[in-house]
Amino acid sequence: MPRNRRPSKQMLALLEALLERAQQWRHGYDLMKETGLSSGTLYPLLMRMTDQGLVEAEWREPAQPGRPARHAYKLTAAGVAFARAAVNPNGAPSSGFALA
Amino acid sequence: MTLGASRAVMTLASCCLGESRRDWAQAMEAEFEEAVNEGRPLAFATGCLLTAWREMPQHQEGRLVLASYALALGLLIPMAVFSFACALGLPQLSAGRGILFGMTTASGEWSPYLASAQMAAVPALLLLWLLLGVGRLCLAWALVEADWSRAFNVGAMIAAVTITLYLLMGVLFLDGTPLIPQVIELAIEMTAILVAARRNTRFVMSRSFDVTVWQA
Repeated sequence: MPRNRRPSKQMLALLEALLERAQQWRHGYDLMKETGLSSGTLYPLLMRMTDQGLVEAEWREPAQPGRPARHAYKLTAAGVAFARAAVNPNGAPSSGFALA
Repeated sequence: MTLGASRAVMTLASCCLGESRRDWAQAMEAEFEEAVNEGRPLAFATGCLLTAWREMPQHQEGRLVLASYALALGLLIPMAVFSFACALGLPQLSAGRGILFGMTTASGEWSPYLASAQMAAVPALLLLWLLLGVGRLCLAWALVEADWSRAFNVGAMIAAVTITLYLLMGVLFLDGTPLIPQVIELAIEMTAILVAARRNTRFVMSRSFDVTVWQA
């Protein structure tokens, strides 16, 4: 039975950052810099959100040759709806996702 | 120096994440290069390690590793220390108090007629207690390495040594009470190893099944 809790402030920060440019693929380190979250907070959130279908992840070719391919993240359609509901204090989240 | 330590921490984090989170481990390693460029490799790597530790109880492989370490650190190593402590108790016999490993004879009294036999048995008893201690350390090592065949061989050796020790102490009319925890502990550790080995085999088989399906 999924829990229905309010997102933590770290998760809200991540949702806001992802929602701001919802159509763009974002890298983990860039999200860290933008949200101020540490890797120890960001990655567990991304893992949970990916497991719950809120975020999709894919490997992207490196911008510079000789660098490793990087994982990039983007909100799914369900993630966008959830993020809008979570970020907007007037609209309660309608989905039953377990939140960090 | 910091970079080397950070890379070591990243490698540890990748190992702790296990096969089920292999993609995430690779993702973190790729981002680690960015952290190196930004001059914050250690903070990034430490965060990744914390993530990996938090994830360990979430997947079967991680739970098996944690259970193995708990068994090794919580049971096997303390029992090895106890065996070494029993072996170190041997000099008390040569002090002429008639006590072997802190134990009295079965009757609770010192018998001068048995003294020479007990003294003669000291090297054999010492060797057996030391073998028990070393065996438990080897068992702990085999367990954390998930080397089940070696774990069973060492477990059989420990059982044989315990039985020999019990018989020898009986022959020498020594009180075998301190061996009771050894026997109970042996039963617990062998049961735990059997359960861990079965779960590990099931996990490995399910993984190889997944790979076969994927290849097909």
